[in-house]
Amino acid sequence: MTQDRRQARVTRRKLLAGAAAAPVLTSGLATPAIAQGTLKGSKLTILAGNWYVPETNTMLDQLAADVARDTGMEIRVERFAGDELQTKTASVIGSGRGADLAVGVEFDTYVYASKLNDVTDLADEIGRTYGGWMDAAKATSVVGGRWKSLPIGQAPAAWNWRTDMFRAAGIDTFPDTFAGLLDAAKKLHAKGTPIGMTLGKATGDGRSTNYPVLWAFGGKEFEADGRTVAINSPGTLAAVEWYKEIYQHFIPGTTAWLDPDNNQAFLAGKISATVNVNTIYLASRTAAATDPARKLIVDNMEHGQWPSGPAGRFACYNVNVWLPFASSPNKAGQREFLKAWFSRGFLPRWTKVGQSYFIPQLAGFDAEDVWPTDPKLRIFRDLNKINRLPGYAGPPSPAAAEAVNKFILVDMFAKACTGQLTPRDAVAWAEKEYAQIVRRRTRT
Amino acid sequence: MGTATTVAPGRSERAVRRSFVTNIIDSERALGYLLVAPVVVLLLALVAYPFFVAVGYAVTDRTLADKGVFIGLENFELLWENQIYRQTLANTFIFTAGSVTIRLILGVGLALLLNESFRFRRAVRAAILLPWIVPTVLGTMAWLWLFNPNFSVLNYILVNTGLMATGFNWLTDPDLALFSVLLVNAWRGVPFMAITVLAGLQAIPQDLYDASSIDGAGKFQRFRYVTLPLVMPVLLTALVLSIIWTFSDFGIVYGLTKGGPMNATHVLATLSYQTGLASGNIGEGAAISLTMLPVLLVLIIWQLRRIRRSTAM
Repeated sequence: MTQDRRQARVTRRKLLAGAAAAPVLTSGLATPAIAQGTLKGSKLTILAGNWYVPETNTMLDQLAADVARDTGMEIRVERFAGDELQTKTASVIGSGRGADLAVGVEFDTYVYASKLNDVTDLADEIGRTYGGWMDAAKATSVVGGRWKSLPIGQAPAAWNWRTDMFRAAGIDTFPDTFAGLLDAAKKLHAKGTPIGMTLGKATGDGRSTNYPVLWAFGGKEFEADGRTVAINSPGTLAAVEWYKEIYQHFIPGTTAWLDPDNNQAFLAGKISATVNVNTIYLASRTAAATDPARKLIVDNMEHGQWPSGPAGRFACYNVNVWLPFASSPNKAGQREFLKAWFSRGFLPRWTKVGQSYFIPQLAGFDAEDVWPTDPKLRIFRDLNKINRLPGYAGPPSPAAAEAVNKFILVDMFAKACTGQLTPRDAVAWAEKEYAQIVRRRTRT
Repeated sequence: MGTATTVAPGRSERAVRRSFVTNIIDSERALGYLLVAPVVVLLLALVAYPFFVAVGYAVTDRTLADKGVFIGLENFELLWENQIYRQTLANTFIFTAGSVTIRLILGVGLALLLNESFRFRRAVRAAILLPWIVPTVLGTMAWLWLFNPNFSVLNYILVNTGLMATGFNWLTDPDLALFSVLLVNAWRGVPFMAITVLAGLQAIPQDLYDASSIDGAGKFQRFRYVTLPLVMPVLLTALVLSIIWTFSDFGIVYGLTKGGPMNATHVLATLSYQTGLASGNIGEGAAISLTMLPVLLVLIIWQLRRIRRSTAM
């Protein structure tokens, strides 16, 4: 058994031991009341994807095995690649069969709210245990005043940048303003080391790369009521015009980039900067011992925060949640697994293993021993505090989710950048698309 | 307390049963229905039921989490007003027409070549089938590397052989991206067309070629007046099937571009998936799918009538 697997192994004894040592622990999560074998004979199917930090997947599997052993439940973790998880979840929601729990994304909670179990009591207990939920977590999982999912965490995205390439272009620090980023992009392009921002149909990067630009210039999709489309504004136009200008200095091909493409371009040394979570760095660090090219990247890359725009500094992170399907015949099993997941014996260790990959949106985690000691990853602790969800200035909604799934914002920028539409026409196009989505979603 | 007795069927009862079964077997009409029944049940369960469910969904505002209410044709009206849908519809026709044209030209050409005698003919025939046999996802992944925006193998070859300075924007340029996905679809479909036409070619009696040669027909005339008319029924069947499969293709487009860039390669199947499953708007997703129906229906009816005519002759 490897060291990682030994670390990942969670036993009932360890859960209890962890609870005893926990300074902020006040609730029953510390001593989950799983009577040995009470769920014997029942089944629990969990749908999951593949998190990019492999150890986090291993720990999920190990937890499932441990809970199965302790409860007598038969637990099965089914894994799906990429968007297949979304499809499988949709089929479970539609058919009412096939799984009891799933890893979902931020929008799933309000899209599927009526088909999810109320887990408010568990959420309250978890909140008490870890110093309270952050606002972004409540926005993600609370529908109609009730918690319909439990947030696993958010994955802060940072600017991954090559210090050596920036220095060669005469830039010592990552730009702190959008004007500065544009200037840097010009210099880097001239040096043959351009930057790249995802403008393609990339499920994760498309969102985390493009929404912060809109917000930084004061643009927004909706008014606070969540029904009035507000995309056509001077702020949005300014964002589009900035994008159109900086796009001229990108590496070619970003309008076709899917999620892996910016990672591959960065790892191949074709670009000097892009927006991504910590996985480029982690993968390089792991390979650096045997691969000189990766060592070069590790030695010469840093993570930077988003520049500040006229309206401020924003970020948009992917969020994962546990979706407890209401159709599950094993509600007790769902709850036992969730209690084990959020227990002090598991969640902090799972978070630490990810090294700021997915970070639970719990205020108390800031003081926990979960943060990476690697100086190049320290920034993620601060980045974790500024997440904003699509749909702003309205609450998250099915309409906002549909706009994300249809890549309306990404395509608005892309259409202007490539000259397919003028910036003004691109914004007008997006406004029309948003209006149609709202019209469909709010028909009475 | 009463008693229960079990009486074994008497001789006369068995005789009645036997005669009933015998009657069915003896009646051509009844036996026909009986033999066809399993297929009908399967078709009803696997084709008709999902189809009518989809029609039912398309006239509601149903989402994955909510049954919704009847809204008549509003989904279709909204679709028609939507720029992405109209672009997708146009893409689907271009994608189908382009791919089927390439399949037709290359498929017939390959079939004619494979119909000739040459060394390793059997091995070549088997190899030709590879694109058709390889799972769609695997084939698509291979093409994704060939077209990759950062590491296109095709561009690498073009640039390193000095043919081009920078290569093509295979999946980045909207027009070229649509061409790229239809090219991959055609690559996958050519073997089917070639093998089907080849089967038709091999069914043509050699006597006809001999007779036409004696009459002074050249190669082109033999093709025009002997090969083409006789292979036409098979060719049309392969053509109609290709159109139907291409029109409803999902895997290649989704695997290569997910409909991007800027919806330039969205086809009805991928838009329907994005709307119905990814966004949970199942009513609208079903409506998008159903807009394929008129085109497919015309083709299917035409094909069925043709088959009926040919079997009646």
